[in-house]
Amino acid sequence: MSLVLIRQKARELHAKTRRQRLGTLTVPLVVAFFYAFCIKQFPQLRQVLYLLFTFALAWSLAGLYFLNRGKWTGEMPGDTGFSTGLEFCRREIERRRDYVRRGLLWSFGPVLLAIGTFLVALAIVAGTGIWSKAMPFMTLVVIWIGAYFVIRVRQERELQRAVDELSDVERENSR
Amino acid sequence: MESISTVRASQDDFYKDAVEKYGSSLHRLASAYEADPDKRRDLSQDIHFQLWRSFQRYDARCSLRTWTYRVAHHVAASYVMRERRIFSTLVSLEELETIGDKDQGQLAAEQRLNVKRLSVLIQRLKPLDRQVIISWLEGMDAASIGEITGLSPGNVAVRVHRIKNILTLRFGQGGGYAE
Repeated sequence: MSLVLIRQKARELHAKTRRQRLGTLTVPLVVAFFYAFCIKQFPQLRQVLYLLFTFALAWSLAGLYFLNRGKWTGEMPGDTGFSTGLEFCRREIERRRDYVRRGLLWSFGPVLLAIGTFLVALAIVAGTGIWSKAMPFMTLVVIWIGAYFVIRVRQERELQRAVDELSDVERENSR
Repeated sequence: MESISTVRASQDDFYKDAVEKYGSSLHRLASAYEADPDKRRDLSQDIHFQLWRSFQRYDARCSLRTWTYRVAHHVAASYVMRERRIFSTLVSLEELETIGDKDQGQLAAEQRLNVKRLSVLIQRLKPLDRQVIISWLEGMDAASIGEITGLSPGNVAVRVHRIKNILTLRFGQGGGYAE
C-alpha cells in the first residue's frame, strides 16, 4: 500500500469520524421531535409535557456527552503497539461492554421516556378508548422496546463473559 | 527537539521497512481473519494504515517484527469484534472440538481447498487463539508469540499444542467447509 493511499485513508477516516459524531445527534433529535409534536397536539397538557420533555431532552444531551466520551477516548489499534494481544483484547472488549451499558442508560432511556410521555398524553386527551384502536401499534412498540432491551442485555453479558475468560487467561499466565 | 518532518520521515521509513520484510505475512494474516475478498481488502488496508500510524510512537523497545505483528493483530481483532457484534458466535477451543459438522466425513483432495478449510476453522477461533496459531503458522517460536500476545512461552506452547490437535481432529472429520 503506497504512502499516498495511506494519507488518503487518513483523510477518509477523519471524514468518517465526523459523520459518526453527527450520527450521535439522532437521539436528541428524536426526543425533540416528540417534544414539538406533543406540545402542538396536546396544548392542554403543556405544563406537564414541558417538564417531562425538558428532562428527556436534558437526559439525551447529557447522554451525547457520556456516550461520545466513551466512544472517542478509546485507542485506535495503531496506538497500541506497546500492548500485548491479551491486554488489547481485554481492554477493547471492556470498552465495548461499557459502551453497550451506557447506551441503555443514556440513549435508550430518554427515547423510552419520550415515547412513554407521548403515549400517556395521547391516552389522557383521547380517553381510554384509544387503547383498543391503538393496540396493534402499541403491541409493536412494546415488542420493539422489549427486544431491544433483551438484545442489549444479552450482548453485555456475552462481552462480560469474554472479559472474564481473558482475565482467567491472565491469571493462569501469571502463575 | 525533532522536527515534524524528521518524525514523519522515520515513520515512513519504518513503515516501508516493515512492509518489505513482513508484507506477505500481513497479507496472510488478513486472509486468516476474513474470508470475503472485498472485506479482506478493506481489512488489509486498515492494517497498513494503522501500522503506518503506529510508527509515530515506535521507539525500538521491541523488535520491528513484534511491533508489526502486534499492531496487525490488534487491528484484525478489533475488526472481528466489530463485525461479530454478538461475541458468542466465536467459539472457544472446547466448543470447536465438539461442534458437529454438516459435511462430516468428506475429505478434500485439493490442497487449495484444504488451505481454505483450515482458514475457515481458524476464522472461528477467538482473537487470542487466532493470534497464537497464525503466528505459529508463520514459523514463530513460543517466545516470539509470547511477546506479541502477552502469554507466557509455556502457555503459548500448551495453546499451540491444543489448537493443533483440535484443528487436526476437526480437519480429519471434514470440518472447515463453509459453515
